Amino acid sequence: MYKDLDPLLHSQLRLTIISLLVVSEKVDFTHIKEETKAASGNISIQIKKLQDAGYIKVEKSFKNNYPNTMLSITSKGIEAFENYVNNLKKYINPRK
Amino acid sequence: MDKNNLTPEESFNIINKAISNYKKNYKESAKIFLLWGWILSLASFSNFIILKILHNKEAYELMGLYSLGNWVVFGIIGFVILFFMDRKINKDKKVYSHLDSYIKKLWTVAAASFFIAIILCFKLGIAPPPIMLLIAGIATTTSGLLIKFRPMIIGGMSFFIFSIATTFVSNEYIALIVGVAIICGYLIPGYLLKYAKEL
Repeated sequence: MYKDLDPLLHSQLRLTIISLLVVSEKVDFTHIKEETKAASGNISIQIKKLQDAGYIKVEKSFKNNYPNTMLSITSKGIEAFENYVNNLKKYINPRK
Repeated sequence: MDKNNLTPEESFNIINKAISNYKKNYKESAKIFLLWGWILSLASFSNFIILKILHNKEAYELMGLYSLGNWVVFGIIGFVILFFMDRKINKDKKVYSHLDSYIKKLWTVAAASFFIAIILCFKLGIAPPPIMLLIAGIATTTSGLLIKFRPMIIGGMSFFIFSIATTFVSNEYIALIVGVAIICGYLIPGYLLKYAKEL
């Protein structure tokens, strides 16, 4: 229906993840979980899709002896997000 | 939570909600400002006392050495506390904002400038405080502008005035002016930031 909109971002969970990453330099996986209230498994699947597309970078490390996943948006991800928002505007304000 | 057939309005709402939920956490900056505020003001006032005693004893040749030793001791204490404080902050941190990163880079460059300024001042045979206060003023005012916190902008700008003021007094009173400058530029904005409800 909305052909101009990037199908990868046109999903509730993936769009929330990307929006959270746009405003920060790095975000912890647990913060994404708290903000989205989605299941860890589901978030991991969506993160994998965004990572495969080159939109986000995933860094795995250890913090306080526990595995820690940090996410950050890439320049490709920022560009995709900007295009998505610009295309959204066309649907909301078709005259512009 | 997942839905793929979003309307443009729903998409906008998702973006808006995620961005507006973004929490600005400047309380960490307040902790660092308070740490250096206390360390440097104590260093300045103890330096004033040391210089005053040596001046009264007419031991002028010891003034430079004792003064340097005093600053080095307080500087080391500050960096040791900062190291552990930074570790504790990073332990609980879930979101690293762009602003946190800018402010950290700004103060890293300022710290490097402090050290270079000290070396230059010793080489040129001039008192470091006017230059140090100028650098502190640049970094504090810029930090205040970045986080849009007026007391920090004013505190930062007060460093410029104190920097000029140090050129009008004798050596031991320079230390006293630096102490007052640190209270106005670091401690007062630091406490106001600590207890600020929202920026």
